[in-house]
Amino acid sequence: MTLTSKPLSVMLFVILFGGIALSSAMGWWATESTKEPAAFTEGEFAGLANPADIRGSYTFGDIANSFDVTPGILAQAFGIITDDPATFAVKDLEVLYLDSGYEIGTNSVRMFVAFYTGLPFDLTAEETVMPKSAADILLAKGSLTPEQAAYLETHTVNVNEPASAVEPVAESTPAVEETHDPVAEEYTVKGKTTFGDLILWGVPKETIEALIDADMPDPAMKVKDYASANGLDFETLKPALQAEVDKVKP
Amino acid sequence: MVTLFGKRIRLFRPRTIWIRRVVQWFFFLLIALIVFNHSLVESGGGIPFLASASLHGVCPFGGVETLYTYFASGLFVSKIHDSSLVLAAIVILMSVLFGPVFCGWICPLGTVQEWVSKIGKKLFKRRFNHFVPLKVDNVLRYLRYGILVWVLYVTATSGKLLFEAYDPYFALFNFWSTEVAWTSLAVLGVTLVLSVFVERPWCKYACPYGAVLGLTNIFRVFSIKRAESTCKADGACSIMCPMNIQVDSVKTVRDHQCISCLECTSEAICPVAKTVLFTSGGVK
Repeated sequence: MTLTSKPLSVMLFVILFGGIALSSAMGWWATESTKEPAAFTEGEFAGLANPADIRGSYTFGDIANSFDVTPGILAQAFGIITDDPATFAVKDLEVLYLDSGYEIGTNSVRMFVAFYTGLPFDLTAEETVMPKSAADILLAKGSLTPEQAAYLETHTVNVNEPASAVEPVAESTPAVEETHDPVAEEYTVKGKTTFGDLILWGVPKETIEALIDADMPDPAMKVKDYASANGLDFETLKPALQAEVDKVKP
Repeated sequence: MVTLFGKRIRLFRPRTIWIRRVVQWFFFLLIALIVFNHSLVESGGGIPFLASASLHGVCPFGGVETLYTYFASGLFVSKIHDSSLVLAAIVILMSVLFGPVFCGWICPLGTVQEWVSKIGKKLFKRRFNHFVPLKVDNVLRYLRYGILVWVLYVTATSGKLLFEAYDPYFALFNFWSTEVAWTSLAVLGVTLVLSVFVERPWCKYACPYGAVLGLTNIFRVFSIKRAESTCKADGACSIMCPMNIQVDSVKTVRDHQCISCLECTSEAICPVAKTVLFTSGGVK
């Protein structure tokens, strides 16, 4: 059989658009994400949504529809200040954190959602960093596996300082005077210490709750602010907390 | 049609496959409109009744890039959707039947290179498309397979479309967007400049998708075949071939670079009827 250009061009259109029509009829044609992540197909979590399939086009609201995490928590974790966190698109994170020098984007959200919800996440596939505000929430939740906690320890970054000037929090080796003890400095309860810092340093959540005689507050909250807001004396609370910190200090 | 020296020769023959130009224009405009509409939709507008997929959503190479990840984990790599896999399957079917017709008839980047090449043809006449020394050219033609392996490797290991940062096709339809890396714009710029000297430089030397589709030239159903009994051996087919394939030296074109443009056939440049044919059967 010999073909010339005209029948060939007709056949190209028929095969291409016929194939698209057929796939559309079969429900296979999708040019955009359905906003529903693919599910795990095997193992303990089979049937549950897979955080690794969260796309940049998803909003925090889309994520909340598939995972047990609220848009508010996501916004708090990634430092988003908005009246409507549900409409914030994940892909906008990269733009937001562009100046920080850290690649905080879709994969950071995937990892956060996986850690927060206790779903599996492949930590070997890609180096992913987490802003400190997100790490604080995860540590305060207290459900991390030892492997996840160890990963966070080396992949948490302080986005308030430019990447060129700051290393990941747990790896930080600040340039200091010879007499300065960086470990002592880091493990000292001060006015700017947050509850997340205490958790990150290794103070058990239960110990903190016992000392303040209340449930664990927002990890991003400063201890001093919490004390003044709840009628506690920070100067009394500080040495008690410092004693607990000293117990776990490396 | 007249008979001269015992051979049937067409006096007024088309020198090009005009309908291919029409099809190329159609797909260029279609993709441009879809991508433009995607931008409009993202900003709250949009053209009614027109698809608004992202460029990745209508790119069959995305289907190839995501294959490993899809079979390994059931997921698509970032930015790729089901439509890319469907298109990849359709284009493979086309290529098994007709060779890399996607490259020669549909791919808008190939079309744009051809448009720019018209400048080179006017400037350099017969020297156009013959600047690269044959020995260098023969080696460079395999570069695209190296690029293909690299693209598949980095996509499989990262789960991201890292090639996007170097992809001139992405740059061509998103050059106004902040999503485009300067490297892909640079590759597009170099490709267009080279197109003044060489026909389809990206396709020949660098396109990873062309590398995949080019393999179907080895076993495709419809091939370019030359009837030696009627061939005048004037070399017109080889001169016309945009991919510099020596059509007049083979009976069946199995070259991995053929793009099935049909410009070498008796329907276009070959002056002898039924001598260079696009056929599934044999020729004498």
